[in-house]
Amino acid sequence: MIDRRTLALLVTLCLGQVLLISAQVQSQGGVPLLQVAAFDAFARVQRVTTAITDAVTGVWSGYFGLRGVARENAELRQQLLDMAVELQQQRAISSQVRSLEELLGLKAAVPVETVAARVIAGNITPGTLTVAIDRGTDDGLAPDMAVIGAEGVIGRVINPVASHAATVQLLVDANAAAAIVFERSQTGAIAVGGQSDGTLRAEFVPVLADIEPGELVTTSGQDRVFPPGFPVGTVESISGAGTPNRTIRIRPAADFSHLDVVLVVLTPPPPLPAATEAR
Amino acid sequence: MKFTSVLVTVVVGVLLQVALARFTVGGTWVFDLVLVAVVFAGLQWGPTAGMIGGTLGGLLQDLLSGTIAGVSGLAKTLVGFVAGLIGTQFVLTRAHGRSIIVAGCSIVHRVLMLALTGLIEQHWPGTTWGAMLAETIVNTAAGFVLFQLVATVPGLVARQRLGRRAGFGRRQW
Repeated sequence: MIDRRTLALLVTLCLGQVLLISAQVQSQGGVPLLQVAAFDAFARVQRVTTAITDAVTGVWSGYFGLRGVARENAELRQQLLDMAVELQQQRAISSQVRSLEELLGLKAAVPVETVAARVIAGNITPGTLTVAIDRGTDDGLAPDMAVIGAEGVIGRVINPVASHAATVQLLVDANAAAAIVFERSQTGAIAVGGQSDGTLRAEFVPVLADIEPGELVTTSGQDRVFPPGFPVGTVESISGAGTPNRTIRIRPAADFSHLDVVLVVLTPPPPLPAATEAR
Repeated sequence: MKFTSVLVTVVVGVLLQVALARFTVGGTWVFDLVLVAVVFAGLQWGPTAGMIGGTLGGLLQDLLSGTIAGVSGLAKTLVGFVAGLIGTQFVLTRAHGRSIIVAGCSIVHRVLMLALTGLIEQHWPGTTWGAMLAETIVNTAAGFVLFQLVATVPGLVARQRLGRRAGFGRRQW
């Protein structure tokens, strides 16, 4: 039925991979050199395939998908107008805050330096929610840098990071987490991914904390990855309220199914106060 | 020659996976075109080709996604071998028959992946039957298209060549 050589090869291949897995599990690390080399080589190909697919979709949307453009244009104009008004309001608030900071003698917040990157590939392995972007170590990227989008937090840079490409772990991935704060109640917690419905689960929320559905959730900066104040999402549902088993689901602000351009935060979050760090 | 064919099949699978997965990130519809390529290699060229394709494709997936290298590799090696074994034991010439093997392999692969991840992380990773079913459906559909293409294209090309030759003959006389 099966010759010995085939069986021997099967056993060798399986055993080799079991040893490879156990070596990584024991050392708590990956195979960085091999990973970076493979990722770097494929990133070039990914960039080409992205250019081709973008050209095809560009031709489609540019020539064939023009139906409804006038309507979309009107909607966008309205949006632009609304945003201009909002921007003016934000500017007014910002100047008020600055003058208050000056009055109180507070140190101004560190401006966040970002670099724009394009998503060039999706999650190669189903089950792990990662994307590849077209910026790497040559652009100043390093692991654990925060990645944000127009609507909110997207994720963080993880290994492998090549010279012109990097991997981003999305916030909804099973191994992703971020330190958050509920805006209304100012309660700190940890948002973790891995939910089958694409939401985030809030962990370590004090039992007595008053959380309401619809409440805005932002980053707290306590994880030293995500700068504070960036929107993470809104509280979607609370089950088992008033019990220690209360489950809080957060609907992410970012739409992970349409990722095109993202911003990588190059500035690390400010260090925690000495007292907090000592604790 | 067989190794080159397996390598090309797997690399094309990986390229298609990274190119198309960009449009479904975070969505409900997940697929594994590398697995489809591995099953194709197994059914087309036998168990050795299936397991080598599985090892190459799986390891490449692991290295590119930044996860523990070997998890997907091990799962795909076993699935590729089983697909190759089925291919040698049963006569599967029709595309829909081969697609059913893809469906079965998708489920076995997902269960293997969950089991391996569970063993490593010491807890059963969260997954739903719906997500597994969606992945199986998309993989099966992709497999059906691939097998149908492989069955149809060579005949189509041969017929076109024959037609061209016949036309050339008529012109000569």
